[in-house]
Amino acid sequence: MDLVRDLLDKAVVDRHGREMGRVDSIVLEVRPGEAPRVAALELGAAVLASRVRPIFGRWTATVERALGLGDGRPLAIQAGAILHINHHVKVDLAVGETPAAAVEQRLRQLVSLIPGSS
Amino acid sequence: MSVIVDLILGIVTSIGGFVEVGSISTSAQAGSEFGFQLLWAIAAATLMLAVLIEMSGRLAGVSKQSVAAAVRERFGIHFQVIPLAGEVAIDILLLAAEIGGVATAARLLTGVGFHRWIVPVGALVWLVLWTSGFGVIEYGIGLLGLVTLSFVVAAWKLGPDVAALGAAFVPSLPRHEGVRYAFLAVSILGATVSPYLLNFYSSGTVEEKLAERDLWVNRVTAYLGTGFGGVVSMGILVTSAMVLGPRHVHVDSYEQAAQMFVPVFGRWAVALFAVSLGIGCFGAAVELTLNAGYVSAQVLGWSWGANKPRRTAARFTAAFTLTLIAALAIASIGFDPLRLTMICMALTVVVMPAIVLPFLVLMNDEKYVKRHTNSVVGNGFLAAVTVLGAILALIVVPLQVFGG
Repeated sequence: MDLVRDLLDKAVVDRHGREMGRVDSIVLEVRPGEAPRVAALELGAAVLASRVRPIFGRWTATVERALGLGDGRPLAIQAGAILHINHHVKVDLAVGETPAAAVEQRLRQLVSLIPGSS
Repeated sequence: MSVIVDLILGIVTSIGGFVEVGSISTSAQAGSEFGFQLLWAIAAATLMLAVLIEMSGRLAGVSKQSVAAAVRERFGIHFQVIPLAGEVAIDILLLAAEIGGVATAARLLTGVGFHRWIVPVGALVWLVLWTSGFGVIEYGIGLLGLVTLSFVVAAWKLGPDVAALGAAFVPSLPRHEGVRYAFLAVSILGATVSPYLLNFYSSGTVEEKLAERDLWVNRVTAYLGTGFGGVVSMGILVTSAMVLGPRHVHVDSYEQAAQMFVPVFGRWAVALFAVSLGIGCFGAAVELTLNAGYVSAQVLGWSWGANKPRRTAARFTAAFTLTLIAALAIASIGFDPLRLTMICMALTVVVMPAIVLPFLVLMNDEKYVKRHTNSVVGNGFLAAVTVLGAILALIVVPLQVFGG
């Protein structure tokens, strides 16, 4: 597998098919004498921004912490949780139980206050 | 039967949704200053848009992904960030101009000041997006937009010389003001081929779950709907050329542009022009706002969709709401909507290669479009027009802007 072509930036969905984000970064494990292997996929605005420029990543992480969103971000999904990879990456998690849903859940509370949101 | 209904609705609403602030401004100015001579530019831009729209629908129909999502996946964020930033910046400026267009139309109808309409127009755009699904947004506004056919009726009733019209489809050099002529040609291209349309159309195709076997519907809708839509833009140019040109009126405001309807529609002229301008701009404002939500959500992998309850796609909802607020802030500052529009149109052409060329790569990648890859002719035509347009824009935009 070509990791950049076939895995990086792909959409990630949970075991129920709900959107979790995209593969913003890949963590590789390197052991002496062995081929590198994928240890985890990372999802989160700070790792995405750091790919553009490292300083953007630091700024984004600072903003996330200031908003109280720092805990558990970026979300690291262990390679063992990957169920399959085709036109998206399906993982054996529920998005609502991960920090990937933190912003969505907060905004959902706000949006729910407006009539007609559901 | 449903496919036929979709086909007819798609064509009719493409016509109704074609004209907005950019096409009205550029066509009216081109007609008043150069007669029929720039009809070729509208024809070339319309053909380019039809080709791009067909391709974006084909990409979405086969890959089930929008253009923004596919570019992120294929090229990565590092590549995408700059064209994306350019597109978003132009879209926000264009959204401000469209809101300005609706506010101008409201002023023409009521006499109440332009600035008083900015916030109510923004609120109405948001309300439509909050309460409506994709079908209502696309078809409802497109059907209302059929009022813009009044430009074609006006041109028809004025009885233009058919031979002169035909001759104008062959590009020719102007006898005077070459820079202005080139600037208007570039602006017509930018007004017709707005980059947001690529992602908006592909997102709509995903929302409507177009099947691969129905790609012919996409093809017919793209070519016929866009082609007839281009006729509406030509109607504006012809009407302006026949009414404003002989009176040496250079269109510096929408009030002046409205005068083009007077010989045909008499006392209803200003009202009809205002309704056409208002509905055309309102439809484009709704689409631009919705597309901001689409792009953000698709690039970042959030839940999205105009057909989903807003609560279940909260980040998507927040993204389009914040974009609308940003555009309202720009519109409220105070600007000349016509001038802002013309600058947006020309800048669009400058950034176009960064958007169209990666799209062409996708359209030749079997991973995304399977056996439905582009023809050599389609690739060559788009690449040539895009690059030539950008080179021309880089030359004439500074000359026009800084040379006054």
